[in-house]
Amino acid sequence: MSSASIIVVIVNILLAVVLAVGTTPIMVWWERRVAGFIQDRTGPNRCSIGGFRLGGVIQSFADMLKLVFKEDFAPSHIKYKFFYTIAPSIVFFCSFLTFAVIPFAAPLEIDGVSYMMQAIPTQLGIMWFLAYAGLAVYGIILGGYASENKYGLLSSIRATAQVVSYEAAMGLSIISMLVTYGTIHLSDMVAFQGGLIFGFIPAWGIILQPLAAIIFIVTAFAEANRAPFDIAEGESEIVAGYHTEYSAMRFGLFQVGEYAAMSASSAIIVTLFFGGYQIPWLDTAAIQSNIYIVIGAIIVSLIAMTFCLTKWMKKNNTWDDENDPRARETNVLVKAFWIMTVVVSLVLISFIVTGLGTNGVNIATAAIQIGTFLIKFFMMSLVFIWVRWTLLRFRYDQLQMLGWKVLLPLAILNIFITATFVVVVGS
Amino acid sequence: MAVKVVPRHGSSLKDKLYLPAIAGGMKTTFKHFVKNLKDTSNLRTVQYPEVQPTDITDRYRGVHRLTLREDESEKCVACYMCATACPAQCIAIEAEERTDGQDEKRPKKFSIDLLECVYCGYCVEACPCDAIRMDTGIFSLTGKTREEFVLNKEQLMANKRSKDFSDD
Repeated sequence: MSSASIIVVIVNILLAVVLAVGTTPIMVWWERRVAGFIQDRTGPNRCSIGGFRLGGVIQSFADMLKLVFKEDFAPSHIKYKFFYTIAPSIVFFCSFLTFAVIPFAAPLEIDGVSYMMQAIPTQLGIMWFLAYAGLAVYGIILGGYASENKYGLLSSIRATAQVVSYEAAMGLSIISMLVTYGTIHLSDMVAFQGGLIFGFIPAWGIILQPLAAIIFIVTAFAEANRAPFDIAEGESEIVAGYHTEYSAMRFGLFQVGEYAAMSASSAIIVTLFFGGYQIPWLDTAAIQSNIYIVIGAIIVSLIAMTFCLTKWMKKNNTWDDENDPRARETNVLVKAFWIMTVVVSLVLISFIVTGLGTNGVNIATAAIQIGTFLIKFFMMSLVFIWVRWTLLRFRYDQLQMLGWKVLLPLAILNIFITATFVVVVGS
Repeated sequence: MAVKVVPRHGSSLKDKLYLPAIAGGMKTTFKHFVKNLKDTSNLRTVQYPEVQPTDITDRYRGVHRLTLREDESEKCVACYMCATACPAQCIAIEAEERTDGQDEKRPKKFSIDLLECVYCGYCVEACPCDAIRMDTGIFSLTGKTREEFVLNKEQLMANKRSKDFSDD
């Protein structure tokens, strides 16, 4: 193995790990701030290290630190200690592994060797997703069962029924996507979405298959156990459901698993329906041939973004008491952001001035596509959070009704229409 | 009596689709989000220790005070009415003879244990002389020991009517 291939593999694995697990504190922070803003509250905004609040993100790290150092307590009535212990790890690991097959960029070519930009370079991406997303619920079921708690058991039963009724519709909606794209390879699906329909509409999955997109997004919410389908947690009826008897980092693993599942779901939604790493109207070849124009556009937008951000911070990130260390934060951050922007812009300008080799162009393209994927990924996560703070939790019977009587027939109808169309048109 | 027909919703196709209603709800929450993100001064949260609440009314029952006569001596005549009325039994009074001609009796000691107190205001209701009131507007009392929460006569007399309240 050359050093280039080792670096590519490490970068891919790091990306997958960071996006699946490392974003959890960010997601929790985001969830709480967005929830606050939606409900006209502030959310966490006080926790600071030396006056640096960073918009409240320090709070999530403090919470996490607390969970790690909390006493690892297990109730004495639990008979199956092994299952009780292993359940949170199953949730965590399955949600985490789901991320391994997401393509972050188009296959990267260095010195004539092509590397797939996935943590696990497999062709069977969508199968891997279905397998592990389904298995993550098993951890919830096991946790509720091993808790030896009526609420936990009720929650397990609900989770089981939910996964049975939603997995079917999810799988069927994916089948119609497979028929449309003609492949089960996630990277090929994204490459397909780089094209155009009628020459001007991006061929994104949501435009080709709006019905499948809606069904998949709804079932993905159920799969990730997020509101409005978080009846397994159902704190108004069954305390906290499957994690009633859990505390400290065992509970923390459930929490991380929940957010990792949310991240994985949004990543797969982006990959299947929102063009993955593709920039609309700019496929991989177009970026490579116009690399200097793209870099120039990035510099301009970077400066514009920093300008807006610093302006927003000066207006909103204030602290009444002048003597508090938190009052200094905005000034320091504004300077730091501008220095970072200038340094990055200078590096990019030096690329334009000196010119990039073939490898350089390919790597720059991959970096741009990873950035695009990240933007889409975080937007989709925002949608998850936004939906959670808008919609009410479904009642158990409504959930079953929606799954079996609405989503499943619609998914089958969609396969029928798609297959007929593909056979008639013959593409 | 005429029958009032309440219109039932949910039977039209638009209602059954759910999605238009969901989109409407998401529009509402998004409006709130954008409004608050643009200008955080729109938020309703009071940044509490730095910003104090302004909506405490005259009827709010805060920490007690002993009211004073014209000459700054206590109005209380140590009749034990407040201590008798108190459901939490947090008022302890020790009486003595009053020799300055204002009255016959005065409290030698008068203490309220605010850790016991339930802030019901019965002592204020029971007092025949308007000698005890709860109009200081103090809603948060902190201390490091239990003893700090037992207010004695001098502390109770030093408490003043809240400046935010209208003059009585």
